Amino acid sequence: MQYEAPQTLDAAVALLADARGAARVLAGGTDLLVQLRSGAIEPDLVVDIKRIDELKKITAEDGGYRIGAAVSGAELGEHEGVRALWPGVVEATELIGSTQVQGRATMAGNLCNASPAADSVPAMVAADATARIVGPDGVRDTSVRDVATGPGQTSLGRGEIVVSIFLPARPARSGDAYLRFIPRTEMDIAVVGAAVSVSLDDEGTCVAARVSLGAVAARVLLVDEGARVLIGTKLDDDALQALAAAASAACSPINDKRGTIEFRTDVAGVLARRAAQTAFERAKG
Amino acid sequence: MVKVVLWGSVRAAAGGAETVEVEAKNVRQILDRIGELHPGFKDRYDEGVTVSIDGQIYVDDWFQPVTEDSEVYLLPYLEGG
Amino acid sequence: MLDKTKDPVAERDFKVVGTRPVRPDGVDKVTGRARFGADISAPGMLVGKVKRSPHAHAKLVSIDTEKALALPGVKAVVTRDDFAENKKQCDVLRNIMAREKVLYDGHAVAAVAATSATVARKALKLIEVEYDVLPHVIDVDEAMKPGAPLLHDDMITKGVDPEPETASNIAQRYEFGHGDVEKGFAEADVVVERDFKTAAAHQGYIEPHACLASFTPDGQGELWCCTQGHYAIRGFCADLLGMDISKLRVTASEIGGGFGGKTTVFLEPLALALSRKTGRPVKMVMSREEVFRASGPTASTSSRVKVGATKDGKITAGEAEFRYQGGAFKGSPVQFGAMCAFACYALENVKTVGYDVVTNRPKQAAYRAPGAPMAAFAVESVIEELAVELSIDPVELRLINAAEEGDQSSFGPTFPRIGLVETLEATKAHEHFSAPLGPNQGRGIASGYWFNFGGATSVSLNIQPDGTVALAVGTPDIGGSRASMSLMAAEELGIAYEKVKAIVADTASLGYNEVSHGSRVTFASGLATIEAARNAKKILCARAAKMWEIPEEAVEWVDGHARPAGANAGDFEPMSLADIAKVAEQTGGPISGHQEHNASGAGASFATHMVDVEVDPETGRAHVVRYTAVQDAGKAIHPSYVEGQFQGGAAQGVGWALNEEYIYNDDGRLENPGFLDYRIPVCSDLPMLDTVIVEVPNPGHPYGVRGVGETGIVPPMAAIANAVSAAAGVRMTELPMSPPKLLKAINAKKANGSA
Repeated sequence: MQYEAPQTLDAAVALLADARGAARVLAGGTDLLVQLRSGAIEPDLVVDIKRIDELKKITAEDGGYRIGAAVSGAELGEHEGVRALWPGVVEATELIGSTQVQGRATMAGNLCNASPAADSVPAMVAADATARIVGPDGVRDTSVRDVATGPGQTSLGRGEIVVSIFLPARPARSGDAYLRFIPRTEMDIAVVGAAVSVSLDDEGTCVAARVSLGAVAARVLLVDEGARVLIGTKLDDDALQALAAAASAACSPINDKRGTIEFRTDVAGVLARRAAQTAFERAKG
Repeated sequence: MVKVVLWGSVRAAAGGAETVEVEAKNVRQILDRIGELHPGFKDRYDEGVTVSIDGQIYVDDWFQPVTEDSEVYLLPYLEGG
Repeated sequence: MLDKTKDPVAERDFKVVGTRPVRPDGVDKVTGRARFGADISAPGMLVGKVKRSPHAHAKLVSIDTEKALALPGVKAVVTRDDFAENKKQCDVLRNIMAREKVLYDGHAVAAVAATSATVARKALKLIEVEYDVLPHVIDVDEAMKPGAPLLHDDMITKGVDPEPETASNIAQRYEFGHGDVEKGFAEADVVVERDFKTAAAHQGYIEPHACLASFTPDGQGELWCCTQGHYAIRGFCADLLGMDISKLRVTASEIGGGFGGKTTVFLEPLALALSRKTGRPVKMVMSREEVFRASGPTASTSSRVKVGATKDGKITAGEAEFRYQGGAFKGSPVQFGAMCAFACYALENVKTVGYDVVTNRPKQAAYRAPGAPMAAFAVESVIEELAVELSIDPVELRLINAAEEGDQSSFGPTFPRIGLVETLEATKAHEHFSAPLGPNQGRGIASGYWFNFGGATSVSLNIQPDGTVALAVGTPDIGGSRASMSLMAAEELGIAYEKVKAIVADTASLGYNEVSHGSRVTFASGLATIEAARNAKKILCARAAKMWEIPEEAVEWVDGHARPAGANAGDFEPMSLADIAKVAEQTGGPISGHQEHNASGAGASFATHMVDVEVDPETGRAHVVRYTAVQDAGKAIHPSYVEGQFQGGAAQGVGWALNEEYIYNDDGRLENPGFLDYRIPVCSDLPMLDTVIVEVPNPGHPYGVRGVGETGIVPPMAAIANAVSAAAGVRMTELPMSPPKLLKAINAKKANGSA
């Protein structure tokens, strides 16, 4: 196995594009190294992107923030600006792993690992975040929703790297939140994840919403019906019940060692409702 | 005669008898006498047995004395964690 | 509460015993210097790895090692052909290396020694194994059914009259009890009967199995390994390799948890065989996945419990059937479960039946109070339900029926002095007992029993020329025992704790020692330490007598000094241990004390646990919010490590109760061989685990010690199940009470309620 740690993006792209066998990008490595150790993957080339300066930065852009692919969860959590604008995305990212893992794990890595249970992804989807991808054919932006295509599968082409995540600007009186269900209190993988982002008008009525669920389908879901039932309401009990029902209805989970279809479907509704309440409180300020 | 109560797997190894009365002054004599009465018991005894004498548990301790007044239970070989 | 006229040892005024000094191994452990199993290396060492079966049950048709052996860097491969048949260790032999069949996912089929881990891993892939896959069975109840896939064609159930004519997966039937349960149930006003299931739980030690074996051309072997019993490892290995016991020297490393799971061999005979074949040291370390797939969890169980009581709370009869699967070989701890099930109660009519069952899972290994926790979960759940039905406080109900000295135990013998009542009284007196509960919270209480034993023990205590003491014990330190041994030696000799240095000696340096199991170490090695110190004191007194030129009987040992016993003995300045040690050579030679014995008189330990659990009724998540563990320690030698044992039992119990389970897929493969999906509790899952040490001295130990290592894991599952059931309003009868199961039960109850 060949290990490379280039200092420029061009060099990283070239290495990946020229790789003859299987190649992997290493950001925090909190998934990749585990897979390597267990023998689940045996890449011929690993390209470490943590030495590329531009990928280690969080930059303000058009009222939002661009988060480099090598920014760790801990660094994100210490950024006042991102915390204030997208607290739900930050709390979701901070849930990945443990304190030690937080020093390494990245949002982009979480996205590219393409687990349907990834914690930061539903929050990014609810935030309508964009992934910037650089490859042999240049730069392209795509919705984070379109990066993972199935468990462990991405839409990235040969030689392509997610270099940053862009969290957009948002109106005043907006809020987001992420909740996950795990049997323990930490160090675990979401059995269900739910993220909700809402914007309110001056009267406190919901004018825009995005609802996203993790671990209840092969990909992270955007639940349009969940958003529809919130818009125009003040998130009263009926609206929240309708959201829970919509969230449960959107699920197409599997039975596995972590949970049953029945359980995931039920709890998706509960978490969507609870996340919406938190997002709503945050939006009210 | 010492009355010996057989329990659990030991009872099975001694032909199902619940109690036996034997002439014995210590644990080994008890085991020997039962072995004579029930040939199947010998294998079990070689694997190890636990004996309770007046509520005190003895594991593989041949020369613990017993009297006619002793309460004697043969129990399976104990293993712990 | 403590009757001192009854317990003379309680009156003793201890000087060092009962204090809480830093443990001798503490600094090494917190600074990372302590050497655990995988920390030992040797020059020229090879790396050993095991090829394991991917099938739950298959005939082992052939193993072709030719390609693996041809790989550069591969020095040897061992398979079933490298181990001779061994009638005595028939199952152990087949467990460490499959012979006729593979019996579980992860069963070893070959092991390789190579110059690096990478080469070893490649070699494993080159070993070609032909399997003839057979149907498998995982669940205990399924395995008992007629027509279930048979693991062993010759397994005829023992303990059944008449003997069955055909083979089954039931190795043995056990029965315990006395009185007439039918008569007892007829006298009952209330009878509660329930079925229960518990999942297989792994001991979950953090340190994986590891060893380094070295075999010289003249047939001498050395082995370093993490184990609870290096003498037992020596015995197994010498037997399996066909060598003299004295030619194999085993050293126990520091141990990162065992809990019963490190009382047998897995890698050790393979490493020795590879070393014998290559003439080079071979190191083997299990991965976490291997630990889960191929070392022993405890049994999974299924049971039925029936208890009857009168209106005023007197239990008239208790009856239970327990079915434990112990993996691919006979020997599940069902008999201990059946014996301990009703041990907390003085019953006139009691009957328990146990079935030892085999399935296509790894051979179970002992796990703290083997077999008792599952039985206690079932029985104590029924006792709680009975208390609710009778509107009697659960502690009161237990007090009404509690076993005491002179009562016949449910497994036969009459109890000597025991402390169950004292733990119940201490529970009732604790502030936690009457503390208010929050919304969605419930409180559960349960009691538990474990036998405790003594066993073969050797200790050597050497007085050094400077007056310090070297104490060599042969029981690996799995819970702070070097500290408690040092305390007992210091107490007996009348010197400071710091003057004693305790070590765990290797198998060549001391007489035989039984494994550190059965909560025996503080009791049995402690007893031997005290006796060794007393023997040393006799010599110390004799040396003083020589110097004073008076008879030995005229010298006594008081407060660390030899002094004339009484005025008639003469007027001499007392001599300290250091004074006598300094001139030991001139007065006759080095001074030491020994004790070699089969310790008896171990006192049983009872515990009562009380726990508050909060349940999220919408997600089925249960969280422990308060926990108090009360247990009888007889006498706490080092109270911090006694408390640690109570807390450890409770913590492991929380995991077993709420989330831990072996999950198999339809092919019989283990789905969760890692700490991510085999969920032991993390720190934040637990509140402060409060402890109360009750001291009802054991008359069988000079200081009153009762073992405490195991009883602490007996009550937690029942206590937590009782708390969860109270909080959720629905009786939970299956472990673990994982969120999907609990939510389903809550929703089912809601659906019934509204219908």
